[in-house]
Amino acid sequence: MRRLRRLKNKRAWLAAPYGVWAAGFIIIPLIMIIYFAFTSDEGGAFTLANFSEAFTGETVKALWLSILLAAVSTAICLVMAYPLAMILAERKRGAGGLIILIFILPMWMNFLLRTFAWQTLLEKNGVINSILSFLGLPSLNIINTPWAIILGMVYNFLPFMVLPIYNVLIKIDKEVFEAARDLGAGPWQTFRKITVPLSVPGIVSGITMVFIPALTTFVISDLLGGSKILLIGNVIEQEFKQLNNWNVGSAMSLVLMIFIVISMVVSAKTDKDGEGSLL
Amino acid sequence: MKFLKRFYMVIIFIMLYAPIITLMVLSFNTSKSRAHWGGFTLHWYESLFQNTDIMQALYNTLIIALLASVIATVIGTLASVGMNAMGKRSRSIFVGVTNIPMLNSEIVMGVSLMLLFIIGRMELGFSTILISHITFNIPYVILNVLPKLKQINRETYEAALDLGATPFYAYRKVVIPDIMPGIISGFLLSFTMSLDDFVITYFTKGPGIDTLSTKIYSEVRKGIRPEMYSLSTILFATVLLLLLIVYLHPDKNKAGSRRKQPSKLRRAGGILVKRVLPAALAAVIIFGGIYYFRGSSTAYTGEVVVYNFGDYLDYDVLDQFEEETGIRVIYEEYETNEIMYPKIKSGAVAYDVVCPSDYMIQKMMQNDLLQEINYDNIPNIRYIGDIYMKTSEQFDPGNKYSVPNYWGTVGILYNKKMVDEPVTSWKILWETKYKDSILMQDSVRDAFAVALKYDGYSLNSTNMMELNDAQELLLTQKPLVQAYVVDQARDKMIGNEAALAVIYSGDALYAQTENPDLEFVVPDEGSNVWLDSWVIPANAKNKENAEAFINFMCRPDIALKNFEYTTYSIPNTAARELIEDEEIRESTTVFPDEEILSRCETFNYLGPDTEEIYNRLWREVKSQ
Repeated sequence: MRRLRRLKNKRAWLAAPYGVWAAGFIIIPLIMIIYFAFTSDEGGAFTLANFSEAFTGETVKALWLSILLAAVSTAICLVMAYPLAMILAERKRGAGGLIILIFILPMWMNFLLRTFAWQTLLEKNGVINSILSFLGLPSLNIINTPWAIILGMVYNFLPFMVLPIYNVLIKIDKEVFEAARDLGAGPWQTFRKITVPLSVPGIVSGITMVFIPALTTFVISDLLGGSKILLIGNVIEQEFKQLNNWNVGSAMSLVLMIFIVISMVVSAKTDKDGEGSLL
Repeated sequence: MKFLKRFYMVIIFIMLYAPIITLMVLSFNTSKSRAHWGGFTLHWYESLFQNTDIMQALYNTLIIALLASVIATVIGTLASVGMNAMGKRSRSIFVGVTNIPMLNSEIVMGVSLMLLFIIGRMELGFSTILISHITFNIPYVILNVLPKLKQINRETYEAALDLGATPFYAYRKVVIPDIMPGIISGFLLSFTMSLDDFVITYFTKGPGIDTLSTKIYSEVRKGIRPEMYSLSTILFATVLLLLLIVYLHPDKNKAGSRRKQPSKLRRAGGILVKRVLPAALAAVIIFGGIYYFRGSSTAYTGEVVVYNFGDYLDYDVLDQFEEETGIRVIYEEYETNEIMYPKIKSGAVAYDVVCPSDYMIQKMMQNDLLQEINYDNIPNIRYIGDIYMKTSEQFDPGNKYSVPNYWGTVGILYNKKMVDEPVTSWKILWETKYKDSILMQDSVRDAFAVALKYDGYSLNSTNMMELNDAQELLLTQKPLVQAYVVDQARDKMIGNEAALAVIYSGDALYAQTENPDLEFVVPDEGSNVWLDSWVIPANAKNKENAEAFINFMCRPDIALKNFEYTTYSIPNTAARELIEDEEIRESTTVFPDEEILSRCETFNYLGPDTEEIYNRLWREVKSQ
């Protein structure tokens, strides 16, 4: 027994390379963001000025708009994904291949190209409007508006909502449904009282998996918003890539991380066993 | 109900696959513009394989994804084993740290790594991309392997030890096979994530290295080359085929019920996964490697790192330069002066030749970012017209730091079919009847120049009242604007997407040849005349090569080639004489006459404070 424990202690050291790696490339970079956020451009003295500069009128506006668009897209994703996850979970076997076909396969077509293709689809003289006008329907003019960005977010992040919900739904014991039916519950009641409560971990995990990338994207707004709509991701990207203002950019990143920490805490609370994970 | 379910699935399926099908269709489109269908062709599939920079980007993408996922799988698997053996407290710390890259947004992670690399004085390039990819891949591996480790039966391992196996042997023979599925799926997931990553690569890459993602991003604004579509179609079709064979074979569904001889097809699928796939991957790496190093094996005598505006020269010219001089060109592009400047200033990358605009050259000079050019090494400067050297003196007194490359004006390009009134004033960009048909320039100085000129002010105004007026104008204009664009304006005008666009004179000529309904005009209120010149940054490592490059660019035949490619006006008078088409040689769109030029101003550098004001006002406009 002692030999085993000694072996075990030795084995724990196998995590050492990762520990060093994580310290160097996960922890230290985050500390650098914190450092830059609280120091001044010249001299590096402690200051809070970066935050007050970061949160002047237009950045706050961008942040609110990002929160709004991310929230709307997350809601749409949830509404679209839940029935889909249920339909997939009903299939007894063979759903695995189908899910991979539907959700993983598109990833092999570059994400930027896929999003960019929506431009061709949505444009004034684009594919969708050609079809609409052929059918004699009014044209759809959402390119370069917030709606196009929401569409892009839903399109890109829908899988992150479907997979966790699906993974929770297939684990629910089918007998629970039978019991509910035996006890006289109708389909709606079963759904409301059984399916939804039991799938909460998946829903929460799905919401964080969609909300965070939607909140922080700068590519989708760039490609589908016609550079007319500035999200917080665009502002941060500009601070680093164009204005070279690392301190203010870091302050903004730090504020974004608050949202990330909140969602980490929420999902850790509701999903203790990691049931609603992506995998 | 069943019908409804089917219908719903089909709708989702269409939504997810419509863009992919669009891209596939575009890969067969004869026309370069994605706006219209020009007929069926396989041309882009042929030219793809001759396109060295796309193939290079593909190779970079694959090798980075492969290396990153292999290294991450090793580190991640070891870490999982270690974490599984740890006490509760240290394990929860490790799990917490592992969660950070999973939940953290890509942009924050990319930015934090970029800061680390720049502060740590690591040159941004292949290795920094690789490190970043490994970092975000390890958690995916751990997430796949750790649960498997928790599931395995400990007693088998202990039994093996009792039977005299060494711990390592027992682990290898008993535990590893059990967790293998987790390791493999972790590896595959890492590979896919690496392949599809854009944001983190974008922040941690250096010049001259591109993955497919960053290459595509740099092309998005000026129009993606159709070869990209054909490459993606090939990649996609290959993976689809593999998946169809492996996953969708009917035997899989019955595997539980009838465990007899696997069918031939299934076996073929198994062989494909176990043998053919690794072999194919190895082949790609090896041939790619040969391809990759063939480039560098042609003994170059040195290199020159060039940083230029997007689509600003005929790319054949670079090959020609390499052939004739034996100097290897590392070539990178930027979209606007404002994007270029911080990169030079931060010094993270040492560029040898850059091509900024007039006011930016002035700014760089004032900030000691440029060094004097030795004109003895650039005899071809004699081909540059005197008038342009004189204009240069406005921002580079004594012509010490710069060699003119292109020049031109800014004006309005409009579609005669959509605009039936004569266009003489900037005012038309504020007409409500052209709502959603106006394309504005997406760069601070150009946008403000339009508004300031419309108000009758100088486009170098530093007067706060005038600037506020201009901002007010831009704000009232914003609801009418279809999009703020840079290079995309040209393609959108060609595709009849908009009626009016603020555009550089050089783009106008090209647009007119593609779409004869377009007309270019420099409004009566006046506009900007600009000059883009070659300069050498102060921290350049290969000054003499840089001068050789500039000299080469001033050669009349080369300047002519660049002109024919970009259609931007060249200050190279000897090259202008060589233009065969008289209509172009004498065109006032390409070579504006004295009368037009007398109405135009060059941009001056206005100092950091005024610049800050411009930036702030512009950002307020954009975020409104």
